[in-house]
Amino acid sequence: MREHMRPGVVADPLAERMRATAGLVPLLTDAEAVWRSRAGTRGGGDGDLPVWRPFEDAFPTFYQFTNRPPR
Amino acid sequence: MSWTGMRGVATVPSYVILQPTTLCNLDCAYCYLPHKAADRRMTVAVAAAVADSVNEWARHVPRFSAVWHGGEPLAGGRDHLATLMAPFRGVEHHVQTNATLIDDAWCAFFAERDIKVGISVDGPADLTAQRVSRGGRPAYEQILRGVDALRRHGIAFAALCVVSDPRPGLARRLYEFFLELGCYALGINVEEQEGVNHRSNAHDDGLVRQFWAELAQAWRAEPRIELREIEWALRYAGATLAGAADELLPRQHDPVPTIGYDGRVVLLSPELAGFTDPTYGDFASGSVLDTPLHEIVAGAATDPAGWIAEYLAGVEACRDSCPYFGFCGGAHAANRYFEHGRFDSTETDHCRNSKIRLLEGVLDHARAHATRSSR
Repeated sequence: MREHMRPGVVADPLAERMRATAGLVPLLTDAEAVWRSRAGTRGGGDGDLPVWRPFEDAFPTFYQFTNRPPR
Repeated sequence: MSWTGMRGVATVPSYVILQPTTLCNLDCAYCYLPHKAADRRMTVAVAAAVADSVNEWARHVPRFSAVWHGGEPLAGGRDHLATLMAPFRGVEHHVQTNATLIDDAWCAFFAERDIKVGISVDGPADLTAQRVSRGGRPAYEQILRGVDALRRHGIAFAALCVVSDPRPGLARRLYEFFLELGCYALGINVEEQEGVNHRSNAHDDGLVRQFWAELAQAWRAEPRIELREIEWALRYAGATLAGAADELLPRQHDPVPTIGYDGRVVLLSPELAGFTDPTYGDFASGSVLDTPLHEIVAGAATDPAGWIAEYLAGVEACRDSCPYFGFCGGAHAANRYFEHGRFDSTETDHCRNSKIRLLEGVLDHARAHATRSSR
């Protein structure tokens, strides 16, 4: 499963594989609809933007680095 | 792809983790914490020293969090926790609790201080069976009583669920449980080989992928819960298709100061607090009783030494070798140490279970449902 990257030789094989994944676009469309429906609820959202909301309220320690988006 | 995030350590954190007591009233089978049978309590002097730096950091950002972890953070009682919280200004307080001690009085305490609550429960009674009292009695009913109190008081709560054996058929049952439980957010922690928990976390690749794929399917069918891992993966997938994946990782590691009950500060990895090693010592970068927290953090960030320098070398090794780096940001320090005994190694079983197989499982779900509606 591992694909070793060699900068300059293989750009991003995982990204290429994701772009070729059938069904990913409709899945993301569903996800964006969910995120849009949440925008403005419980604070911490990003207005009307259909974006993933970082789990600042629930899990500030997620992944051992801040999950607050880069600003 | 040359990922640009996670280079070095920031000199200012966005949250701190504090250990009000080492004591926990439970004795869960998979717990990584040492000293959880002893009630070693943080003093006001330690909390005040932390607050001196934190209050200044918090003045300059929209949100700054103090996360009260443990032990069990409620085990020391409300008066003790209130006394420790008192020196902080302009800071959001969070507790991550096993919920067994939550009653009406604790709910009032949370509401008065606008404390954000996360609870730990692993699903229905049989799946939560590893969460037991010191006498071995299942904690499940006590946990549900705590959740009932939160719901009675209208206090929103998130849930963390440890999954010891990710496999097909489990995810849907778990997700339905948490829908019923009423949490607004859910995080799934596949059990880790960490701290005093030496159980192996090596699992079959296909089974774990199926677990995550089924969880993605369950969420897609009823997305009422903010589901941490699945949405994290979807966010990355969306950014990848948009050509913006490299923008997701923080530019630098958050230093994540964990302040132990005695004032010792462990950076980057809360799970290392309380442990010692012949090579790495106690993993601490200093004590707030001797040095201001902001000086400890800035010193370690600008001139990393010891295990932190080794860990940063390990992150660079991940960056150079792993196609999942943009999603993950590098294997976690504690997983490297507790699985490999050092910090400059790369892929861990935790990486496989909770990063690689997660992302692949979500892609598996997408493929499996490419030609039919999920709902």
